[in-house]
Amino acid sequence: MSSHAKDFIVEQLKKQIQDLEFDNQERSFGKVIEVGDGIAKVSGLSEAMMSEMLEFKTERGSVYGVVLNLNEDSVGAIVLGDSSWIKEADEVMATKRILEVPVGEDLIGRVVNPLGAVLDGKEELKSDKHYPIEKIAPGVITRESVKQPVQTGIKAVDAMIPIGRGQRELIIGDRQIGKTAIAIDTIINQAGQKMKCVYVAIGQKESKVANIVAKLEQSGAMKYTIVVVAGASDPASMLYIAPYAGTAMAEYFLDQGEDVLVVYDDLSKHAVSYREISLLLKRPPGREAYPGDVFYLHSRLLERSCKLNKDFGGGSITSLPIIETQAGDVAAYIPTNVISITDGQIYLEPDLFYQGNRPAVNVGISVSRVGSAAQIKAMKKVAGKIKLEAAQYRELAAFAQFGSDLDEATKKQLERGKRLFEIFKQDQYAPVAVEDQVLIYYAVSNGYMDDVPVERIKDFELALLNYAHDNARATLDRVKKSGQLEEKDESDFQQAIQGCKDILDYLIKKND
Amino acid sequence: MKASDKQYARALFDLTQNQKGAELNKTIKDFARLLLKHNRAVSLNRIIDRFQNIWNQENSVVKAEIISAHKLNDKTKEFLDEHIKKLAQAKEVAVDSKVDPGILGGLIIKYGDRIIDAGFKSKLRSLKQSIQN
Repeated sequence: MSSHAKDFIVEQLKKQIQDLEFDNQERSFGKVIEVGDGIAKVSGLSEAMMSEMLEFKTERGSVYGVVLNLNEDSVGAIVLGDSSWIKEADEVMATKRILEVPVGEDLIGRVVNPLGAVLDGKEELKSDKHYPIEKIAPGVITRESVKQPVQTGIKAVDAMIPIGRGQRELIIGDRQIGKTAIAIDTIINQAGQKMKCVYVAIGQKESKVANIVAKLEQSGAMKYTIVVVAGASDPASMLYIAPYAGTAMAEYFLDQGEDVLVVYDDLSKHAVSYREISLLLKRPPGREAYPGDVFYLHSRLLERSCKLNKDFGGGSITSLPIIETQAGDVAAYIPTNVISITDGQIYLEPDLFYQGNRPAVNVGISVSRVGSAAQIKAMKKVAGKIKLEAAQYRELAAFAQFGSDLDEATKKQLERGKRLFEIFKQDQYAPVAVEDQVLIYYAVSNGYMDDVPVERIKDFELALLNYAHDNARATLDRVKKSGQLEEKDESDFQQAIQGCKDILDYLIKKND
Repeated sequence: MKASDKQYARALFDLTQNQKGAELNKTIKDFARLLLKHNRAVSLNRIIDRFQNIWNQENSVVKAEIISAHKLNDKTKEFLDEHIKKLAQAKEVAVDSKVDPGILGGLIIKYGDRIIDAGFKSKLRSLKQSIQN
C-alpha cells in the first residue's frame, strides 16, 4: 500500500473520531426480574412510558423490547428478538423513544421484518427516515369522503362490491378458500394505477410468503410493493407489531400525498398473538380468552386507513384486512369485531368454492358501504343493472328448484343469471382491466350473451376481449380515460360484440 | 383479602415512627408475632426490603452505587457524594463503591433507577459502533 493511501485512511479515521460525541446522559435503568415466553418483567424504570422502547443489555448484545404494562414497581415488556439471550438481573435501559421503523422509497420492492430489517438477502436499507409504529389516526377535518376507485381487477368485486381509495374492506372466509388470492390479485392489478402496496404477512408459513413474493416478482408487482413478514416462527411480539409497522411504512407515502393499499394477512392470527401476549402479561381474559382491548387493537389500526383532503396532501390508505373464520362462523368474536370496524366485507363461501365458482365471493352478503361512489361512471352504468339481475337470479334460482313450469320471462331471467354468474368466475393472477369489465358487463346485461351456451361463456368472454382489443382499442381507451360510457361508445361496443359473434358463430347456439 | 408485603412494611413504618427504646422493641416483637399468626413469616425478607425502600423514600435517602476502574480517593468520593445528592435532590446518599477493572477507566454512577455511564468501555463500544456504521 502506498503511504498516500495510508494517510488517507488515517485521516478519515481521525475525522470520524473527531465528530463523535460522547454523551454522559443520565438514563433510566432497571433490572430484569423475570423473563420467558417473549415477555420480560423489569424492576425500576420508574419513568418508563407506555410503548416506549427498552434496550436489554445482554452478554451477547442488545435486545430491544416494548413497554406494554406499567405496574406499581415493575414494567411488563414484550421482547422483540431472542429472549433467550436475556438473563435475570440483566440491565435494561429506557430509550425515551417510541418504537420506530425505517420508511421511505428505499423499502419499495423489499421484503422486511416488522422492525425494518431486510429478509430478502439484498443490500441493507439506506433509509434514514423513521416513523413511529403507533400513531393517532387522522382526524375529521383532515379527511374527505371516499370517491376514487381501487380497481381490484376482479370482476365480481369491481362490479358488485366496489372498493374506494381510503376504504377498509374486509376479506373474510374459511381457510384455503382464496382470501389471499383476492388480495394478491388486487396488488397485481395496481400496476400503472399510481398505487403503492404494502403486504403484511402475519403468522403465515414462510413457504407461503415465499410463493407470494415470487408471484409478485414474476408479475412485476414488486416494483411498487413492500412485503412485511412476521412469520409463523417469529415470536408473538413480532406478529403483534407487524400490522402497525406496515401501516407506518404506508403512512410515509400517505404524507407524500400518494395512494397506498395495505393488505393485513391475516388479523385473526394478529388477535391470537395479542391474546398470547396479554395472557402472559397476566391481563384478565374475556370472551374466547381475548383481552378486553382486542377491539381497540384492530380499531386503532384500521382507523389509520383514510382519504385525506386536498389541504392535507390528498393521499389515501386503503386497507384489505383478512379474517379467517372457523367453519364459516362469522359470529365469532374477532370476525364480528372487524366486520363492525370495516366499511364492508367480501365474504367467501366454501360451497361456492367447491362448485367451481372461483373467486368464491358470495355477492349476496358481501357489501361495500361506500357503494357506487367508488366506481367510474361507465362501470356504475353497467353495474347497476348487474346488481339487480344477480339479486333476482338468486331469488328465482331458489324457486326454480321446485317447479318445472316456468313462464318465458322467468326462464329468460334464469338463463341471464346463469351467464352472469359464469362471468363472475375468474382465474387467479388474471386481473381484468376496468374497461374490459365494462365491455363484458355491457354485453351480458344487454342480452348479447343470451344466445351463447352457458358452458361456452368463458370462451366467448375471452374471444370478445381479444376481438375488442384488436378492433375497438380506441373505444376502450376512451372509456378508461374519461370513465364515461357515451352513446357512441355503446354503439361501438355493440359493433364489436356483433363482429366477434360473426367470427365465432360455431360457439353460438343456433336458434332454429 | 390478604395484605401485601408492601402493606405490612408500610404498617411497620407508620407504627415505628417516633418510637424509641423499649417501645420500639415491643412494636417489633408484636409485628413479628402478627406475621407468625398470619403465616407470613416466609415473606419476612421481602418485607424488610420494602421497609428499607419506604424508609429511604420517606427520609429522602438515596441508594447509590459508584463503579470505577480504580479505587477512588476520599476527596473524589466526597465530591461525588455531593454531586449525587444534588442530582437526586436527596438529603442523604448511601453510597456503595465498587471497583471493576473491566470498565477500563472513568465512572459509572447509579442512583435510584437512574444511571450515568461515563465508563471508558462503553465509550469504546460506541466508537466501534459509529465506525462500523
